[in-house]
Amino acid sequence: MKKIFTIVACCLLTFMVVAENKDKIEIPLRFDRYYTYEDVVEALKLLHSTYPQLTKLDLVGKSEEGREIYALTINNPKTGEPLTKPGVYIDGNIHGNEIQAGEVCLYFANMLLTKYSDNDKITKVVDKNAYYIIPVVNVDGRYHFFKDAQTSSSDRSFRIPKDDDRDGLVDEDGPDDLDGDGNICMMRIKDPLGNYKTDPEDNRLMIPVKPGEKGEWTLLGEEGIDNDGDGKINEDGEGYFDANRNWGYDWQPNYVQSGAGSFPLEALGIKAIAAYIHQRPNIIVNFAFHNSGGMWLRAPSIKEEKVDPRDVAVYDLIGKNATKITPGTVYQPSYDLYDTHGDSDSHMFFLEGSYTFVGELFMRSQETYRDNINKPLTPASDSESSSSRRGGNPEESREQLKFNDYLGLNELYKPWKPFKHPTYGDIEIGGWVKMSGRLPHPFMLPDLVHRNAMVVLYAAEQTPEISMEIFDVKEIGKNLHQVRIRLKNEKGLPSMSSKAMSTKLYTPDMLKVTGAKVVASGKITDIRTNKISYQEHKPEIIYTSVPSYGYSEYQFLVEGKGEVKVNYISRKAGNIVKTLKL
Amino acid sequence: MSKKIHSTLWVLLLIAFYSTLFAQTGITFDKYKTNAEVQKALLSLQEKSPSRTAIHQIAQSPGGEPINVLEIGKELKNVPAIFVGANFEGKTPLSTEGALYLAKMLLDSVRYTQNVKWFILPLPNPDATVGYFSKVKWERTVNDFEVNDDKDDQINEDGPDDLNGDGWITQMRVEDPEGTFIVSDKDPRIMVKADPSKGERGKYKIYPEGIDNDGDGEINEDGPGGINVGINFPHLFKSNLKETGLWPGQAPEVYGIMKFVYSHPEILMAYTLGTSDFCMATPRVGRKGGANMESIKVPARFASRLGVDPEKTFTMAEVVELFKSSMPSRPGREMTAETIIDMLGLGAAVNPMEEDLKFYSDFSDKYKAYLKARGCSTDRMVADPDKDGSFELWAYYHLGVPSFSMNLFTPPVKPAEPRTRESFQRDPTSRTVVTDDKDKNIMAYIDNKLKGEGFVKWQPFNHPSLGKVEIGGIVPFVTSTPPPTKIDSLCKAQLPWLLTLSTKLPDLHLMKEVVTDLGAGVYRLEFFVENKGVLPYPTAMGSRNKQPAPVILILEGENLEFLEGYKRTPLGDFGGNQVRKITFTIKTDKKTILEAHIESVTFNPEVKQIKIGG
Repeated sequence: MKKIFTIVACCLLTFMVVAENKDKIEIPLRFDRYYTYEDVVEALKLLHSTYPQLTKLDLVGKSEEGREIYALTINNPKTGEPLTKPGVYIDGNIHGNEIQAGEVCLYFANMLLTKYSDNDKITKVVDKNAYYIIPVVNVDGRYHFFKDAQTSSSDRSFRIPKDDDRDGLVDEDGPDDLDGDGNICMMRIKDPLGNYKTDPEDNRLMIPVKPGEKGEWTLLGEEGIDNDGDGKINEDGEGYFDANRNWGYDWQPNYVQSGAGSFPLEALGIKAIAAYIHQRPNIIVNFAFHNSGGMWLRAPSIKEEKVDPRDVAVYDLIGKNATKITPGTVYQPSYDLYDTHGDSDSHMFFLEGSYTFVGELFMRSQETYRDNINKPLTPASDSESSSSRRGGNPEESREQLKFNDYLGLNELYKPWKPFKHPTYGDIEIGGWVKMSGRLPHPFMLPDLVHRNAMVVLYAAEQTPEISMEIFDVKEIGKNLHQVRIRLKNEKGLPSMSSKAMSTKLYTPDMLKVTGAKVVASGKITDIRTNKISYQEHKPEIIYTSVPSYGYSEYQFLVEGKGEVKVNYISRKAGNIVKTLKL
Repeated sequence: MSKKIHSTLWVLLLIAFYSTLFAQTGITFDKYKTNAEVQKALLSLQEKSPSRTAIHQIAQSPGGEPINVLEIGKELKNVPAIFVGANFEGKTPLSTEGALYLAKMLLDSVRYTQNVKWFILPLPNPDATVGYFSKVKWERTVNDFEVNDDKDDQINEDGPDDLNGDGWITQMRVEDPEGTFIVSDKDPRIMVKADPSKGERGKYKIYPEGIDNDGDGEINEDGPGGINVGINFPHLFKSNLKETGLWPGQAPEVYGIMKFVYSHPEILMAYTLGTSDFCMATPRVGRKGGANMESIKVPARFASRLGVDPEKTFTMAEVVELFKSSMPSRPGREMTAETIIDMLGLGAAVNPMEEDLKFYSDFSDKYKAYLKARGCSTDRMVADPDKDGSFELWAYYHLGVPSFSMNLFTPPVKPAEPRTRESFQRDPTSRTVVTDDKDKNIMAYIDNKLKGEGFVKWQPFNHPSLGKVEIGGIVPFVTSTPPPTKIDSLCKAQLPWLLTLSTKLPDLHLMKEVVTDLGAGVYRLEFFVENKGVLPYPTAMGSRNKQPAPVILILEGENLEFLEGYKRTPLGDFGGNQVRKITFTIKTDKKTILEAHIESVTFNPEVKQIKIGG
């Protein structure tokens, strides 16, 4: 008897351990699951403790609800301090519901660290750059997305209350999980005068009625009641404070840009992250991951803003390759989606001089159930426009529902069920759940995070690699030497954006000759015809930048003898020192 | 006899009483104050009236200076507030004195602090005041924030230098074949731009006094400091220009002020003491850009959805109706003018709203009459125009409150001379050579009122890189900063106007109610709510930006059922002296006593009991 008991106890114990291990966080990290806010923090701490030489974990700041915002730095100290290398910055989940953005960041970090020294490609990019990774910007949002009932689109906001309906109360009437299933679904009511009827092809769906057709349903909006008794339902939910409209560049007040907040960098987390970035002026390329539409967006975010064609060419290099690494995505300027003010991408490009991409991760079109993957469901013209990439049409909805049935384990959709609503009476609640619509089913997550991390990796490979060649040193007079220097960039990102150069955003690259008197210096504009554009003042320093996949050449006329030092000092492309004997 | 002694005693007592009153606010106005002295003055005001005041530290300058606000009022809770900021650019010490003087007036008499409290910020840009208080004076406007102005290899390496050792940074003129300036034929001390159309040819180049410390060919291009607090606010902010900073609020002073102001939604009005003057003239109009709300074209991408012609123009009200009919509101996003302006990308307002200009020009006329009545001349040089990124514009455009600025001193002009606005348009951030007219006025002021002091005679100097130059010109601060002996009289004459304006604030009250018995326990309830103030609530700008806090009428009671209306009713906009009716239809019984509240963070709470049965 005792034996049996022991066996049962052992079995139970084993079962419990297995159950506990289901979500255990281990290195390498798993990506067939979603990480809660607490999981993300634990994963970051584990990455750091597993790779203490290659990583640093910084507490960037705290959120409105006191949660910690962490940044993981990946840098090989043997190849230099972070600030002496090009910086690659990635963040995600600035909108609380866009959680897989955090997984992309975690995956990227996990890939660099676990494959370092095993894989040459990874080893090389880890050695050349410094990486700054903030997987979760909206830490409160991520926490509440998991914990509270939500739609797939709700909980974007930071925890800064706003009186949306201007009734003197803040955030008092958001959606309510009436049926207690952890989701905010939709409410509908039987209505012969309604705009919708049951879809004859799938009775779980509704389609709009055509003129003259009899209606069957009226959609009442998201699940909720009139919490504040003002005759309106769900009119003042969380926020709305959109942290991706609260950055400093081109910040506009709420009446111009919804969600902007009261003033730039009002959100604690955004202020802290903006400072964190500002203290890392080596950042030359950055990605901000969001979750809807399958788009790679580049600066600028308003149409009127001009970007130099040379910068567009750099963006194109990465953006066009990104659409092949992540098939089905499009690459376009941010304003093609819609104009935004105070977004992080413009802040990064215009004020920090970093080439910046927004990765909109989720693609509804990948939730496929059909015999021919290449045959589009909808006419091509429609599916090309940005807005249609985010919205469903009846055929897409039907396919999505079949996807739910045959691939999604019925986890994405709640069938309509009757409910007694305090205001509306007999209604039905049902529809798409929180973990649908903008989030891939976990079985698709490994593919998503890998492909998108590979886009970041490609950009990281393209950070400038500058070499200095002192190629033509000769004495051209008594004690006077001509010293020619070539700076060559082997990669696609220039050492400084054209925009930063033209707006005089910061001190450009410096080419400095010390150790002897520099009589004159200038850029060689045509080496074959010996044309040099001499500068009027301070010949010992030339301010310059090195173009994408290109070179530039300089001449110094140096008086004297002995050892001369040539310094190339760049904010974003590293430093080089060479000495030469005259 | 005893009666006489008695009355004498009374007089003595009265004298003693008043002298203690004055002793209470015993700060003096015989010199301009450094930030340390300003902070001491704030502290002494606070310590002498502890129950009516509070000090809030709202920021620290990059130079480590404290930035404090003094709160003054009979009540510090549940009352509307006026925010007073002075000397944002740091180069008008007189305006700092003005703010302290105002604080003293508010503490000397309780008259203007009965139903309103005040936030006084005398010196938001202390780092810049080094320009006035150091041995060598120059009109510095930037704080100590680290900015590499010329984007070279050094920071703050090429500031002004007092080459002739006279304690002022004036100007240098040097003969140069490429020069564009000549000596004025009207006054040989003044330099004017040569006019080639009149056959004139430039002879001189003009530089600020200094040397090319870093040898880059530029003089004084990277002096100490970084951001001008007075142009780092968000409205019309321009990034990365001279002294602006990279983003609004990059200066910690500005961030601190914005944070403080937004945590005090009870602020109903803002005053700025400094360089512009909205008391004398309205805020600037006629800026290009900005949406005309009466003539809106619907962008093509919405036009097709709404089924309208993208070339046709609509009023805002029409556009709202169009959107309401074809696009359903979604949670958190009602189809209002605000959300539609956002969706259509109509952008920010850049000119004052027509409705608001009415009160601005009305008060401007009254202010001039007020000055006249006090024997103050209005024949003075026109104040600087408002600047992009300034506090006073931000207060109006973003907070949506009446924003009045006051410039306490500009040099007088001869009444006969015609004044034109154009003649005073000059680069707001540097004091390079200005036009003939303006200089002539300044020279007349220097000659007549300052006995010639205020101008440095052009004297030869051997400059290390420019060679033979002459140093001279108008002394810094002359046009903005009169001798300290004038502080008291200037403040005394002009500042009471700001007290007068404070009595014009909107003031919402339940005026009366009418109960009509409709039978069967159904009643119609009509509330008349009045704005007793001259100023509207909110301003037209506040109505557009939806920033001023809402005012809610709350109706409560037992056995109360609403047939029409709700328990909480936002009252909407009120013009000055306007009365508006709010109607409810309710079901209740005769004995019910209802309570009506006016609830708002901006106004004093008000409660009224209504007996339904009379």
